[in-house]
Amino acid sequence: MAYKLSIQQLRRWYAKLLRLFSRPYYERFGQGMEQTFNDLLQERAREDRALLAFAFWMFLETSAGITRERTRFIIMNNQNIIRIALVTVSILLLPLLAMLFTDEVAWDLADFIIAGILLFAAGLAYELLARRAGNVAYRAAVAVAVVAGLILVWVNLAVGIIGSEDNPANLMYVGVLAVGIIGASIARLHPHGMSRTLSAMAIAQALVPVFALIIWKPSVTSGEAAIDLFVLGVSAFFVLLFVVSAMLFRRASAFGST
Amino acid sequence: MIDKKTKPLTPAVLHILLALSTKDRHGYGIMKQVEADSLGKVNMGPGTLYGSIGRMIEAGLVHESDKKIDSEMDDERRVYYKITGSGQKALTLELDRYRGVIAVANQKRLSLNTLSYGI
Repeated sequence: MAYKLSIQQLRRWYAKLLRLFSRPYYERFGQGMEQTFNDLLQERAREDRALLAFAFWMFLETSAGITRERTRFIIMNNQNIIRIALVTVSILLLPLLAMLFTDEVAWDLADFIIAGILLFAAGLAYELLARRAGNVAYRAAVAVAVVAGLILVWVNLAVGIIGSEDNPANLMYVGVLAVGIIGASIARLHPHGMSRTLSAMAIAQALVPVFALIIWKPSVTSGEAAIDLFVLGVSAFFVLLFVVSAMLFRRASAFGST
Repeated sequence: MIDKKTKPLTPAVLHILLALSTKDRHGYGIMKQVEADSLGKVNMGPGTLYGSIGRMIEAGLVHESDKKIDSEMDDERRVYYKITGSGQKALTLELDRYRGVIAVANQKRLSLNTLSYGI
């Protein structure tokens, strides 16, 4: 009787322990494991052998199994995120290594953190947007848009496109990204709507230097004229990327699905 | 799917396949058979057993059959596990590998004896 009580108690505790397995694993094997544990305890009770030490070993052994299975589950379900993190770290190793050989590259901790966040966020954005995409055109469109967005933010944070990074005119580029985010939300990522969103981003991008030149009228010195050409050139580059992305989304739309 | 280039099986997988080679068994039945086959040297806990079974199902070596009551035990319905064709092939290949290793070991023993006598 005393054995029966303790077996029931141990089985209840073991059942609670099994709930620490991932849900799919628990649903598949939980009941069988609990039965097997119970069978092993019943066997020991029949043979009049010590239960507690054995149960303790079972709990330890199963805990190790839970750790193994949980680790495997996390890796299996987050392979892409782990891959993005590894790519981010690999890219960040480049400036780190460069700093060992040249003084031209001088990143501080904040630079590495910001670059890491930007790269990881870009990878994650691509993963989230393109994960369910069935056609190559949609994925390519997302890739071009994400790369364009990443470079736009990075250049603005690092040196600024219009004048220096402290020039408030650069804040207008936030508007370009806002157009993208709002447009993508309204379009619900459907390729046709995304094509329109990227077209709108291209127009917004083209308007930024125009507004900047009107508001912050440069004096007609040769140096500043060169800077204005630089601003126009960089803006044209981003406009081109957004247009390419819009065209790819349009192509994806022609296939009829994401 | 299983060919001669297949990686060697882990001891746990080999013992489980051996236990299932004669008949379908539930978890406790597999444990007891493994214990008997290994003369008590291999004692698997549920964590190792079901972890291995999970991976073996994914690899197509075993599959679950319907829940049944084991008349020799109690009235609880248990999931039984069954070896598949791929599982049989993997077991055969692994046993061949073991036989090959034993043959080489035996041969070396003879050679070593011969050599040692010769020196």
